[in-house]
Amino acid sequence: MVAPNSSALWNALKGIVCVYKPPETSVRKLRTQLILKICASLNEADENQFYRPFKPYTSSTTELIQKSVDRSIDLKEHPLVYGPKFDELDLPVSWSNYLGWNTSGVLLFGLRSGTQFAKYIRENRSTRAYRIKGVFGQATDNGFKNGKVIERSTWRHIKHFQFDRILSSMQAAHQKKMFEMCGVDMQSQLAYELAAQGPIRPVNSKIPIVYGIKCVEYEGPGFTLEIQCINEYESYLVELIQEIGIRLHSTAHCTGIKCIRHSYFTLDHALLSKHWDINNVLKNLNMCNSILEENEHVLKQKSIALR
Amino acid sequence: MGLSTDYVLCFLQKMFPSILKQLIRNRTVIKQSYSSFKDVSTNGTSITQILKNEIIPLNTDENKKLANDTEEKLPTTKDPGEASVELSETDRVRALNQSTVRDYSGVYPYIRQGSIFASSINDSDFLKELLKLGVNFYKLEKNLESIPFIQGLRFEDVKDHIILLKELGLETHAIGNVITNNPFILKEDLEDLNVRVNYLQYKKFTNAMIARIIEKNPNWLSQSTQEIDNKLGFFQSNFNLSGDEVRLLAVSCPRLVTWELEKVKLNIFVLKEEMGLLPEEMKKVILKKPKIFLNGQHRLLKTFDYLHNTMKIAIETIVETPEILTCRQTRLMQRHMFLEKLGRVQYNPKKPNYVALTTLVSGTDSHFATEVAKSSVAAYNEFLKSL
Repeated sequence: MVAPNSSALWNALKGIVCVYKPPETSVRKLRTQLILKICASLNEADENQFYRPFKPYTSSTTELIQKSVDRSIDLKEHPLVYGPKFDELDLPVSWSNYLGWNTSGVLLFGLRSGTQFAKYIRENRSTRAYRIKGVFGQATDNGFKNGKVIERSTWRHIKHFQFDRILSSMQAAHQKKMFEMCGVDMQSQLAYELAAQGPIRPVNSKIPIVYGIKCVEYEGPGFTLEIQCINEYESYLVELIQEIGIRLHSTAHCTGIKCIRHSYFTLDHALLSKHWDINNVLKNLNMCNSILEENEHVLKQKSIALR
Repeated sequence: MGLSTDYVLCFLQKMFPSILKQLIRNRTVIKQSYSSFKDVSTNGTSITQILKNEIIPLNTDENKKLANDTEEKLPTTKDPGEASVELSETDRVRALNQSTVRDYSGVYPYIRQGSIFASSINDSDFLKELLKLGVNFYKLEKNLESIPFIQGLRFEDVKDHIILLKELGLETHAIGNVITNNPFILKEDLEDLNVRVNYLQYKKFTNAMIARIIEKNPNWLSQSTQEIDNKLGFFQSNFNLSGDEVRLLAVSCPRLVTWELEKVKLNIFVLKEEMGLLPEEMKKVILKKPKIFLNGQHRLLKTFDYLHNTMKIAIETIVETPEILTCRQTRLMQRHMFLEKLGRVQYNPKKPNYVALTTLVSGTDSHFATEVAKSSVAAYNEFLKSL
């Protein structure tokens, strides 16, 4: 087998990578981890290509180093002087969606020239789907499971159909609000034409809008919601769960938030952090780039109505 | 005049702020007598007053005369010399804004780590000798203080140090590693180094032990015998160790002896007060796995918390296998929850399907998924994404 050329690998490293973010880490930490792991595996490929003998220190290494010093003309290029070929500062990486501390799930990173794609995806405000787990009966001070319990209440009166009714009314309120913000009457032909073109997006990236919300699982006090939304952030989703609890004459808090879809990228595409070596990253990069090529509107929307 | 001047001014301010700005700018150019607004207001005329003088001649021809009067009046209130200074100041600022020259005095080019020694290695024989020993100059350059120190040395200065290290039984690449990690060992007096080595020999460390200690902990010889003695004494008195046990500890984990004492004390507090270990148990833990004292206290406590409170593992078991305390809490949680999902949680060695804690913690994910959990790697990866 021919050892892969590290420069060729580096040149191929342009585009979007879809990774899995575990809960209780920050996106920034994940970014540094990704950079370090990619650079480490690139340097390993580089060392395997040229300086394999230096790697495991044995007594024969000493002789090899001495020989290499005597033989080489320009010592600037010696691996012990120049250090690893790929520096962490050489690899620009930016994220296209920000997940909070407690959120897990699909996260998109742009590598090198792919940082532009990451920016376009971010500014294009594509829809994301979340799976949110919650528990009725207890309210915590920060709305999440790691907070202090400040209130207890009964939850056995909540039936599945009541739950669904509240959720559908919330969804309808959001949709109606979107049409109102467009200045279109809900009963008009114009509203129909707008709706036929796809979801209406808010102009501002600060306004969260929920397009779909439904209960996928309700057992005992625990429940799981699936939410499709735009411009959301972690505290908004936590507050949403709290509000649902109050509307059902009870209290609720969140136990887990997971992003299961970001535009066309799902959990199946996401790469676990233990797989962040150069080969897997490049595979993932090619897959993500082909998805972007198939669906160009992820990067740029042509229709004005959708903006 | 139909409209009052105040009204016009107000209208302009509201609707055309750009015109107003232009007017103010023109004023500074045409009427050289004006200085900044602050000076005018101290003289008793408000900004609106100036603007009034400004706008009236532009709006109505009738008031031209009036404006000319004010124009003549105002220069008298100012000192002409001061005004010229003011103008040159504004001109200078404008020139600065328009020019492409920027102030780069605080900006330096980015120097890559490893490039300082790379620039001088071809000319210096001393650096070449160090390179032959296997000194990693890239790593050396991380500590900025070491750069001028190494560059100021000659081979004659350090020859005896290297011979001493060689006589202690270190291999050549190990000497390079020592210098890479602690270049200031070359700064120490040769007699001091001999005294420190003699101290270890006096404390009945064999030569092989001393070589291992220096190889694993290059900072050891930079500390005085008094400091080393104090630290060895600290471990001996805190854990009730015998002489042999102290030697065992120093050889098995030389880094711990020179580790920051405050951090070690915090970890001792975690073990003693927060976990509630007995002195004999503490001794067992430090002799079996001294490495856990090098970790952060919060990490240690988090792992223990998960082991004891969630996985329900008795303290006696943890003391028997202290290596599980080195595992991260997230890794422990992932593996425990996967076993829980499969219904394979059995940490009691007397019952069937027993899962040993050491095998749970050690090994790669594929080994864990196939051998310990009797499942597949794909299933485990799928499970990790569902967390």
